[in-house]
Amino acid sequence: MNAGHEPFDTLASLHAVRALDGQDLREFEAHVAAGCARCEAAVRHTEQALARAAMAGPPETPPPSVREALLRRAAPRARGRGGWLPWAAGLATAAVAAGAVSAEYVATQYESRLGQMARETRAARERLAESEATLREEVDAYRGAVDLLRDPTTRMVELRGQAGAAGAVARVLWTEKAGGMLVATKLPPVPPGKAYALWTTEGEAPRAAGVFVPDESGRATLKVAAARASTRVVGVTLEPTEGAAGPSGPVLLAPR
Amino acid sequence: MSTAGADLIQDMAAGDRDALARFYDRYAPLIYPLIRRILHDPADVAACLQDVFWESWQRAARYDPARTTPEAWLVTRARELAVERMRSARRRRDLTSFEPRAVPPGPDGDRGLDRNVLARVFERLPDPQRETLELAYYGGLTQTEITARLKQPLGTVKTRLRLSLDRLRDMVKPA
Repeated sequence: MNAGHEPFDTLASLHAVRALDGQDLREFEAHVAAGCARCEAAVRHTEQALARAAMAGPPETPPPSVREALLRRAAPRARGRGGWLPWAAGLATAAVAAGAVSAEYVATQYESRLGQMARETRAARERLAESEATLREEVDAYRGAVDLLRDPTTRMVELRGQAGAAGAVARVLWTEKAGGMLVATKLPPVPPGKAYALWTTEGEAPRAAGVFVPDESGRATLKVAAARASTRVVGVTLEPTEGAAGPSGPVLLAPR
Repeated sequence: MSTAGADLIQDMAAGDRDALARFYDRYAPLIYPLIRRILHDPADVAACLQDVFWESWQRAARYDPARTTPEAWLVTRARELAVERMRSARRRRDLTSFEPRAVPPGPDGDRGLDRNVLARVFERLPDPQRETLELAYYGGLTQTEITARLKQPLGTVKTRLRLSLDRLRDMVKPA
């Protein structure tokens, strides 16, 4: 055993429970970054031991609402407003019906006002939920970008605007194992029914890596899936919104 | 080595939502007691549990089976997210106010934690080691915070933590 390494064995144990701080944390991170496989393995073994112990207990059923919310959150984001409109319509109907059967004018007024307040509250909740979902998506995108920038295997390809999109700039950051993302700015708006399409190739014909539409400021991001083999970015063309089997529209962004 | 958990993560990385549901069904009942042990508020526990699996869905493509097991990947992150949530609440109070505590009964009654292996492993540690490890693992305190909390030298805290984790590794060594 290497006696000089002993202090790092202690730091590795503490790091597995994230108890290191200050100078010890900086020294340990630098030591591991310098390539100490022994410390990496020690942290991993301690984490695995803690996981085995934590998971060996009797299972407990979480509230079903957690599973439902998770799967809703992971669903494609094409969510409509149909969820609350029927509810609000039903509430309005109930309010109207209450008014009809009530002989009291004041009661009718209150019912109507309550119904309106309920609709407004519901609509405000919906707006808040959508804002929260948008924020979460943005945070996830930033986290993804940070992860990519930290990964030494990440590659970056810069794309420049061509005729029809002069001034536009895009970068594709990705690793073949984990995929990545395209970030574009100064994109011209697309005509109705059209979208930008990113094309990549793994040596043969270009394949679609996704379509995207810029926001009002001309910015867009697109998640790029992991590849099975070495991938090359071909460019961005203008295609129908539903995508195309192969590039058919004008090339608007191409690698430098 | 490929395991059922690793296969599910691979399917999740390919965007398979059914795999996420199966992954949740397989692991959520095992992770839930740990999160309940760290967080007080049932709403916080539920939100944290959802975040753990949401993050595993988001980061599935980055999981490397050669580096860690699905269980360690999930438990390590679950504990970190729970501690982050607890610490952000604690920042509004005293930074070192964590008190080791009994866990409130869950939906399955109170039997869960008493029989929890991690809790039993902790019980078998000498008191000073157990207390120090609880403050770090469940309380999310760093070595400096534990030093202030226990009024013990930093070296003593580090030694107790290392010895307790050495013992824990021995106690749960795979057969």
